[in-house]
Amino acid sequence: MGPDDLTRLSITEAADQIRRRSLSPVELTRAYVNHIQRVNGELLAYITVLEEHAMAAASTAEHEITRGAYRGPLHGIPVALKDLVLTRGVRTTCGSRILKDWVPSTDGTVAIRLHEAGAILLGKLNMHEFAYGPTGVNPHYGTARNPWDRARVPGGSSSGSGTAVAAHLCAGALGTDTGGSVRIPAALCGIVGLKPTYGRVSRAGVIPLAWSLDHVGPMTRTVADTALMLQALAGYDPADPSTAEVAVPDYRAALDKGVRGLRVGLPRTLFFERLDPEVRDAVLTAAQLIEDLGASVQEITLPALLHAGAASFAIITAESTAYHEGYLKTRAAEYGPDVRARLATGQFVLATQYLKAQRARRAIRTEVDAALRRVDVFLTPTTPIAAPALDTGELTVDGHTEDVRGWLTRCTRPINVTGHPALSVPCGLTAGGLPIGLQIVGRYFDEATVLCVGHAFEAVNPMRGRRPPEAA
Amino acid sequence: MAPISTQLLQSISQELSRIPTDQSDLTGAAAQLNAQADALLRLDELDLLNVEPATVLLPPSEDSHGTR
Repeated sequence: MGPDDLTRLSITEAADQIRRRSLSPVELTRAYVNHIQRVNGELLAYITVLEEHAMAAASTAEHEITRGAYRGPLHGIPVALKDLVLTRGVRTTCGSRILKDWVPSTDGTVAIRLHEAGAILLGKLNMHEFAYGPTGVNPHYGTARNPWDRARVPGGSSSGSGTAVAAHLCAGALGTDTGGSVRIPAALCGIVGLKPTYGRVSRAGVIPLAWSLDHVGPMTRTVADTALMLQALAGYDPADPSTAEVAVPDYRAALDKGVRGLRVGLPRTLFFERLDPEVRDAVLTAAQLIEDLGASVQEITLPALLHAGAASFAIITAESTAYHEGYLKTRAAEYGPDVRARLATGQFVLATQYLKAQRARRAIRTEVDAALRRVDVFLTPTTPIAAPALDTGELTVDGHTEDVRGWLTRCTRPINVTGHPALSVPCGLTAGGLPIGLQIVGRYFDEATVLCVGHAFEAVNPMRGRRPPEAA
Repeated sequence: MAPISTQLLQSISQELSRIPTDQSDLTGAAAQLNAQADALLRLDELDLLNVEPATVLLPPSEDSHGTR
């Protein structure tokens, strides 16, 4: 296998070879570094590449494994972090000019957990400035490009994570998700992305956008790889009081349970109205394939979810402005115009509106919980559209015109409001060759079932084995 | 209901929140707030009388129906 082929290995495949000592972490890391050097200048996935650090860490991993101190399936695996995860001694820009030279003195908990699992940090990934936007357009570091079509956005805010994983510039990455920022780039870039249950993965040492909506999650090329990364990340963290003391199951072992006998819901309201017909067809075909595997599919109604967009708006604008108030008063000119305008909005949201949104949130959550007692998971499109062009403002689809931000977040932000786990898996390509994402939503802390459904679908997925031109 | 004006927002930013905000940002904020105004009012359609706000700090409890 040549060096370029090494970047095509999934984490699961590479880990198996590393464990058997037929693959060197140094060779694997070198292959990724070389690939980054070749294409990152055009794809702009990374803000900071840590070549020396990565090669030294790979050498350490190799020595450890050689002497029998194998840590597990992430040992020697090259990964990358969205550039809002604090990294000790490595600049953490949050995609902003304001933090362009900031070098933290501590690591975020998720960075520590990946390091302890033996993962190799390749670098820090591009993103929408301060994670406040679903396109990934960035005026400070350039916009990461969609590997399926460079004239289109990868989606955001974890744009570099989507681009890097899809273009094989890392084996797996971390993103964060406040209104869909893991799942949107996963869908638009044709990869797998998981927003875990709120409280499943620590947010300590991750620059917030909106505290009560933020989630950290893995982005990979296969569902099994997502399970491996989640295994390393999940669990209570005393540094983050929002994490839960809930037992962490063996996610990899749960993958092969199959979907026979599972009850799967299809909520037509909100998710299947006003969307690209190609997306609708691909998601309904995916539901049929899952039914063919032995699950029963039934329509469900979730009328309260129609209010999730308004609740999300009030919460995200108020919380983000509260966090940024100091910078807005002293360094406003250093924000990009789109993010500054959105941050300005939060000062005008009334406290009563914010609290009404948080009360509505509980009512919406109760309704979704009730539905998830009748079904085990429910399926929706991840996004109602495929990747839009870089300069898209408004977009007309299915006879409806809306701002691109509204299009991209409609199906994802309700699940940030409720906090349930949600996985995006690729489920097809448009006639124009752009990926389509299937969203699988499950019960609190039942990521195992969500991953199991995604894994079962992956085996029959019509687009399995398809790679973007950048990685073909 | 009259739309929210940039003049109103300017007064709030200068006298209440005291966050310096330029005219283009006020225009963008007014557009966003006007676009969401009706949807925020419709939150009243939910029966919230006995509903406390979702907490910021505490995660949901494990579902009593459990995992598979």
